Amino acid sequence: MDVASRFGPELGIARLLLEAISFSLLGILLLIGFIVLRRWYRGRYFRRLNEHTFQIRSQWEGVVNGRVPARSWRLNRLDCEIVESILLDTIEVATPEQLPPLLNCLRSSGLLDLRIHQARTTLGWKRRAALVALGRTRAPEAIPALAEALEAPSEETRIAAVRGLGRTGLLEAATPILDHLLESPLHIPEHAVKNALASCCQNFPTILLRYLSDARGPNRELLARVLGELATADLGEDLIVLATDAAPEVRASAARALGNAQPSFALPVLSVLIRDKEWFVRLRAVVALASIDHSTRIRPLLHALCDTNRYVRQRAAWALTSVGTNLDHILAQVVETQDNYALQAFISELERSGAIAEVVDALEQHCEDSAGRILLQALSAGQQNMELASKSSTAAIAGVT
Amino acid sequence: MRSLLEISNQSLFVYYLVSNLIYLLLLITAIYRNTWHRHRLASLRLEQVKMSPFTPPVTLIVPAHNEEAFIVHSVQALLSLDYPSLELVVVNDGSRDRTLAELKSAFQLRPTRLLYIPEIISAPVHGIYKSIIEPRLLVLDKDSAGSKADAVNAGLNAASSPYVCVVDADSILEKDSILRIMAGVFSEPDRVVAVGGIVRVLNGCGVFKGELRQVKLPRRSIEIMQVIEYLRAFLIGREAWAQFNALPIISGAFGIFRTDLVRKIKGYRTHAIGEDFDLVVRLHRYMQEQSKDYHINFIPDPTCWTEVPGDLRSLARQRARWHKGLLDTLWPNRDMLFRRRYGRVGSLILPYMWIFEFFAPVIELIGYSTMIVAAVTGLLSREFFVLFLLYGYAFATLISIGSVLLEEMTYRRYSDWREVAHLLLYCLFEHFPYRQFTLMWRLQGIWQYMRGDFRWREMKRTGMSSAAG
Repeated sequence: MDVASRFGPELGIARLLLEAISFSLLGILLLIGFIVLRRWYRGRYFRRLNEHTFQIRSQWEGVVNGRVPARSWRLNRLDCEIVESILLDTIEVATPEQLPPLLNCLRSSGLLDLRIHQARTTLGWKRRAALVALGRTRAPEAIPALAEALEAPSEETRIAAVRGLGRTGLLEAATPILDHLLESPLHIPEHAVKNALASCCQNFPTILLRYLSDARGPNRELLARVLGELATADLGEDLIVLATDAAPEVRASAARALGNAQPSFALPVLSVLIRDKEWFVRLRAVVALASIDHSTRIRPLLHALCDTNRYVRQRAAWALTSVGTNLDHILAQVVETQDNYALQAFISELERSGAIAEVVDALEQHCEDSAGRILLQALSAGQQNMELASKSSTAAIAGVT
Repeated sequence: MRSLLEISNQSLFVYYLVSNLIYLLLLITAIYRNTWHRHRLASLRLEQVKMSPFTPPVTLIVPAHNEEAFIVHSVQALLSLDYPSLELVVVNDGSRDRTLAELKSAFQLRPTRLLYIPEIISAPVHGIYKSIIEPRLLVLDKDSAGSKADAVNAGLNAASSPYVCVVDADSILEKDSILRIMAGVFSEPDRVVAVGGIVRVLNGCGVFKGELRQVKLPRRSIEIMQVIEYLRAFLIGREAWAQFNALPIISGAFGIFRTDLVRKIKGYRTHAIGEDFDLVVRLHRYMQEQSKDYHINFIPDPTCWTEVPGDLRSLARQRARWHKGLLDTLWPNRDMLFRRRYGRVGSLILPYMWIFEFFAPVIELIGYSTMIVAAVTGLLSREFFVLFLLYGYAFATLISIGSVLLEEMTYRRYSDWREVAHLLLYCLFEHFPYRQFTLMWRLQGIWQYMRGDFRWREMKRTGMSSAAG
C-alpha cells in the first residue's frame, strides 16, 4: 500500500504534519544539545577562571605595583578580564589613600585607555559595558568619554553614561550632566540622574545652587530634590532664598536642608515654611523641625499638629512625642489648641510610642492641682472620642459591606 | 457526518498550528527580552538603589488567614529584605488560630488608633496594632470576608507608600527581590503602573526560619511538572506578553502596583475567584479608558518562592479554581473584546485568553473525541491520527524544553546536572499524560462555574518547615 492510499484525502495535511514533527524533533535535539554544550563550556570556563584568578590573586601586590609586568597578563583575554574586574572591585571600596596605586595600575597597563577607546568607538551593549567600567574606575580621564555618551541616540547608552558619571563620585562628573540639563532634557529616567548627581555632588552641593538659578521647569525641580538631600548648613543664606522660591519642590528641598542647619538660623525660616500652602512643604518642615534639638521648635510643631492635612498632623505628633521629656506640658498645650484632631493625633502617637503611661503617671502626680485634673479628663475624653469614632466607622463599614 | 468530522479535524489542526506558532513567537520574544534585560541590569548597581534617598517607599501587604505556624518567621524574613524604605502591613484576616497572638508576642504589638480611612470597602477592621520594636510593622485585625482580596483591600487602605507589593504569607521573597522589582519601575517611573516578578516552586527547597537556604528540585513528579509549568508561564508567557505591553496577569503571590491607581479602581474585587488576573485586567481597562500611556511590566529576576500542591487532589482543586477565575474575569470584561478603545488588550490578549486559554480544554476534548471517532469509523486514517498526536506532543515538548533553556541561559537556579536532566526528562512527560489530567481539571472548573459552585477548597500544605530538604 503506497503512502497516498494510506492517508487518503489527508495526504496534504499529513505531509505538513510530518514536516512539523521533524521540525519539532530537530528543535528538541538542538535545544538539548545546546543546553548540554553550554553547561560543558561554562563548566570549563569557570574552572579556568578559578585557576587564573587564584594565580593572579597570589601575586596581586606585584600586579598593582608593576613588579609583575603588564605584558604577562595584558595580552591574555581571560587574565585581562580578571585583573580588570579585581581592580574595579578594589577601587569601588578603596579609601582616597588606597586609590592612587590602583589607578596607576589601570593607567600604566593601558586598561583605562582601552575602555575609553571602546566607549568612543563601539556601539550597543559593548559601548554600555565600557561606560559602566569607566564609571567604576573613578578616574577623571574617564569623564570626557562618559560625557560624550550623553549625546548618544540610544536611551540605554545615555542611562549607562549617567550611571557611569555617577559612579565616579567626582564633582567634575556632575558638570556635564548639569550642563546638559540646562540645554535640553536627557530623556532618561529621573531616578538615574538624581542618583548620579547626588553621588557626584555630595561633598560640594553648592554647585547645584548655581545651576538651580538658571534651570527651568521639571529640571529645576529635579535639581531642587537633589539639593534637598545634600544641602548642609554651609549653604547658609542661600537656603533662605530657596525657602521663598516660587516652586514648591524647591521650598520643600530648602525645608529638608534646614534640618541640618543651626537652630538659630533654621527655626525662623521653618516657622514660615510650616504655614506654606503646599502640604508636602509643610510636611518637610515638620520633619526638619523634628531633627532640630531646640525648645523653641514646640510652638511651630503645635501649629503643625492643627494642620488640615492628616500626614502633617501625624508627623507633627510624632515629632512632639519624640521630644521625650515634659510630654505632660506638651499635652497641656495641645489641649489649649482646642483642636480635637490635634488631640487625637497626639494621643494616638503617645499610645503607639508607649509614652502614654508616663504621661498619665505625671498627670496623676499633679492630680490635686486643677490643671492636672483637667488634663487627665481631657486625655480620657480624647481616648473615649477616638473609641467612639473608631466604633462608628467600623459600624459604617459593616453597614456598607 | 463525514463532512462534519472533516471540518472538525481540520479546524483542530489549524487551532493547534496557530496555538503552537503563537507559543513559538512568545518563546523567541522571551529569549530576546531576557537577554536585553540582563544587559540592561549590568549598568544598574543595586547597592546604589538601596542607598539612594530617591528610592520610593514600598508597602508590603501580607494577608494572613490561619497562618500561626509561620507568620512570625514570614514577617521577620520580610522585614529583613534589602530595601531602604519598607512598610509592612500584615492583615490578620479573621484567623481562628493564634496568628494575631503570635504576632503580638513576637513583635510586642500595641493597639493604636491610627486614622484608618476605608477608601476601599472591606470587612470591618476592629484593631490596628503597631510594634514597639519594629516601627515599620503595622498589623490590621479584621473580620474575614472569605477572600484574600478583601484582606488586601484593607491593607491598601492602611498603606502609606506610593507603591504596594502584595505578598502571600506562606511565600518567600529573595533578599533583593523588592530592589530588583523596583528596577522595573525606575526604568519608566511615569509609565510603569505595575510590575510582576517570577514565582518559583518552593517544594523541595531548604528553608530555615522563613528564609530560603538551598534551591533544590522537588522529588515528586507532580511537583516537578509544576516547576516546568511555572518556568514556561513566567519565563516565556509573561516575559513575552510584557514586551507587547499586554501582560494579562501579575501573580497574586508577588507583584508591585502603584497605590493611587489601585485605590482608584477600588482595589481588588472582593469576590473575584482569580483576583490577581481581575485586578490587572481592570488596571488595563482603567488606563485605556483614561487614554493614558502606561506599561504593565514583568521582570524575570525578582523571585518569590511558593509552595505548590503536592498531591493530585489539591492540584485538581487549584487548577479548577484557576479556570473558574479565568472565566470569572473574562466574562465581566467581555465588552473589551475587539474594541479599538482597549488597544492590544481588547484586540490581542483577551481574545487570546478566551480562545487559547479558556476554550482550550473544550476544544481539546472535542478534538480528541472527533479524531477517535473518525479513526475508529475509518473516516480518518489511523496513521494520520497518530501523526497528529505526535505533532501536538512534539511541538508542545519543544516549547517546554525552551523554557528550561531560558532558565539555563539566565538564572540557573537549578545548578546540578542531575536536576537539569530531570527537568528535561519531565518535559517529555508533561504533554502526556500530565496535560490530559489538567484538561480534566480545567473542564471541571468550567462545570463548577456554570453550576455556580464558587467554593474555595483548601489546598493541603506541608508548610515551610517541612519544605526543608
